[in-house]
Amino acid sequence: MHFHQILLFIIHKLSGQRSENAPYYLLKGKKSGQTIQDVTYFQLHAFFSILPQLSKEDYDIGINELHNRDLIQVEESLVYITEKGIATVGEGKEFLFNGWEYRGREQLFWERLDLVIQTLSQFQAKEKKFVPNQKDMAIQNFVKDFLIQHNFREFNLSNDLKQEIFRLLENPLLNDLHRTLFVYRLSGYNKTGLTWEQLSRYYDLTDMNAKINFLECLHNILDNIDINTSPLLFSLAKGIHLDTPLTDSAFKTNSLFEKGYTMEEIARIRKLKINTIEDHVIEIVSSDKNFSVSAFISSEQVEKILHLSKELHTKKLTVIKNRLPELTYFQVRLALTKGEQIHG
Amino acid sequence: MDKLNEILQKRFGHATFRAGQQEIIEQIIEKKDVIAILPTGMGKSLLYQLPAYLMEGTVVIVSPLLSLMQDQVEQLKILGEKRVIAINSFLSFQEKEMAIRRLADYKFIFTSPEMLQNEQFNLALRKLSIAYVVADEAHCISQWGFDFRPDYLRISTWLQSIGSVNVLALTATATAEVVDDIKKTLQMNAPFEYIHSLDRPAIAYEMIEVDNQQQKMKWILGRVTSTEGPGIIYTQSRKKTETYAAALREQGISVGFYHAKMEQSDRILIQQQFQQGQLEWICATNAFGMGIHKDNIRQIIHDHIPTSIAGYMQEVGRAARDGKQAIASLLYTPTDVEQTFYVTMQDFPEEQDIQIAYQSSYSDIEQAETTTRILTYWKERLNEHETIELFKDIKQKKWQDIQKFYTMIRNDICIRQQLLHYFDQRLIEKPYYCCSKCKMEAANILQKRTEEKNSQEELNWKKRLNILLPT
Repeated sequence: MHFHQILLFIIHKLSGQRSENAPYYLLKGKKSGQTIQDVTYFQLHAFFSILPQLSKEDYDIGINELHNRDLIQVEESLVYITEKGIATVGEGKEFLFNGWEYRGREQLFWERLDLVIQTLSQFQAKEKKFVPNQKDMAIQNFVKDFLIQHNFREFNLSNDLKQEIFRLLENPLLNDLHRTLFVYRLSGYNKTGLTWEQLSRYYDLTDMNAKINFLECLHNILDNIDINTSPLLFSLAKGIHLDTPLTDSAFKTNSLFEKGYTMEEIARIRKLKINTIEDHVIEIVSSDKNFSVSAFISSEQVEKILHLSKELHTKKLTVIKNRLPELTYFQVRLALTKGEQIHG
Repeated sequence: MDKLNEILQKRFGHATFRAGQQEIIEQIIEKKDVIAILPTGMGKSLLYQLPAYLMEGTVVIVSPLLSLMQDQVEQLKILGEKRVIAINSFLSFQEKEMAIRRLADYKFIFTSPEMLQNEQFNLALRKLSIAYVVADEAHCISQWGFDFRPDYLRISTWLQSIGSVNVLALTATATAEVVDDIKKTLQMNAPFEYIHSLDRPAIAYEMIEVDNQQQKMKWILGRVTSTEGPGIIYTQSRKKTETYAAALREQGISVGFYHAKMEQSDRILIQQQFQQGQLEWICATNAFGMGIHKDNIRQIIHDHIPTSIAGYMQEVGRAARDGKQAIASLLYTPTDVEQTFYVTMQDFPEEQDIQIAYQSSYSDIEQAETTTRILTYWKERLNEHETIELFKDIKQKKWQDIQKFYTMIRNDICIRQQLLHYFDQRLIEKPYYCCSKCKMEAANILQKRTEEKNSQEELNWKKRLNILLPT
């Protein structure tokens, strides 16, 4: 999967209702109310926070490329996909990201796996002294515990682990580029992994596209780790999956809601602006279908907003709000978020 | 067999001491302050590691270079020492807390000068019995040193605060001026001074004048494709590391590039590939080399005039650790002097910057990190005028350093002799292959290239995974 394909797909999903920077914040994983709400509005969970290091410069290059190929256009600061763009954009099934779920924590899993394999490879070659690729103490301690727990000296841990990896890599959704990137980033005895630049040279890719494909593979593998069929990888993935998909701050707000505080009280207790708490509510609603919104909006009002949104083919807040002046922006946002859950 | 030799063999796996090592170690054990100057690759680490096994208490090693600290910890662990920790800004808050609580469990504690300001850490340190304090890379203490770290000066107050303790100062490069600074700052009491000759007889030097950049490229391509590595090509810009690497790769050389802009995981991989011989050549900025453990580097090529003799010695010193013949080649054009001065001065504070720094609060200044660090330090100690004068002096000194290098290249005197002279040392014995001014023929040293052209290997993920984890 290439960067510009991802961009085009996101722009397609945003259906002309956001600025050309919206995909940037989504890919970076910006934890603002707007971005988090867009994830749900436009069903963009897969792409949230997949490129936290993305520079604005690289992003603009990607956008310009789409411009130059007439795949997108910008009007009144909103970005649209063109007819030509629609003809080339995929259906989205081919993307294997799961950004909303992992949010960068997949790297932690990767670092553990990298060190486990390096260690096992060294030990099999009877070269127990080596310089670890992973310098982080927390990673080193985790791996040490893992190896000891699994009696790595006595049992055939190395082969079992290899079989688990083989099985997951053979997933037909993955292609050989995915698999090669994944395996060649790993290091072992006398075989050091390749850098992004070295790997992209083999495939004539940009470094960014190499990283994107690697990440897809990593997400796909994490998605398919199962305690029964891949017990070793399962324990290496400890703590990687989200217990709660909320940001820390929204999580705190949520706990106060559960204790029965009102929005105003929470704002006072947490010394935050009411707008921020509203953002949290949107985030909570995005991730928890059962969160009751009746304290903020009636179900008739929700219906009214959704109806209007459908009629006008828009999710633009100002347009809807102008037609329903008695409602607040927050209520419109809330209804649209709820609506995505019912229909989306 | 005496105790020292026994530990040397059992713990460190060496049969004998290298010149000077035993003497220095004995002085440490007798609780003397010691200042030791040894060229890189001459077994500096052993000096602070070995006495620890014959003395009660903890060894505290202060090191201003974080990447080096990491490497030293790794090396001790590879020797089987588990009671070792680095306490620096890389640790998370929790890891730091945990480490400080368990401080007494460690025999070797590495730390940075910055961290010595941490009150909680200091409190814990004061409860320990400290065998001795090691000031590593001690030349960084001196503002005349080529990589002055103002934070390092704070070690002085810290030493006073922990009471009487012995100090071992280690460096690979120090002029008489710098040695004086070190002694003063570390408040050394009639220290035992060991100064090893900084000469590396196995390294021959050649200086080659060319007309322009194209000729440098042509020369490098010719040299690397016809002779044997492994080697490092040092250049001044990131872009050039990539340009050289691409040109050499086209000729079938297995080569990589390295600079500080690369992400850390990739830098680690390149370093490992080179160390394990999967890459024969590295094109790098001066960011490369710290903590490289490779004995058989045969060539070091510079495509520029270095900013100082000390820095140059450090870079070429990475060759010939195995004691076998190597060659250091330096290519230059007459205009390189200005170029190098320009590079050095890039993030050096001008008079204006200093005035701004004095007139505004810290957070308002947008300057290079090193500049901010140095200015912040002096702002607390000198007035504006004094600081401006001080920086004028330093700038002047840097210009002189570069000029000195250029003069050394251009005159008729033996390069080896001049390099040593810079450190106030004399050349005792000239090796057979000395330098381009002593009529050395590089062709007699260099091995003809025999290695096959490096054709791009097919990537096969199944095969690779089976090699990583054989059944």
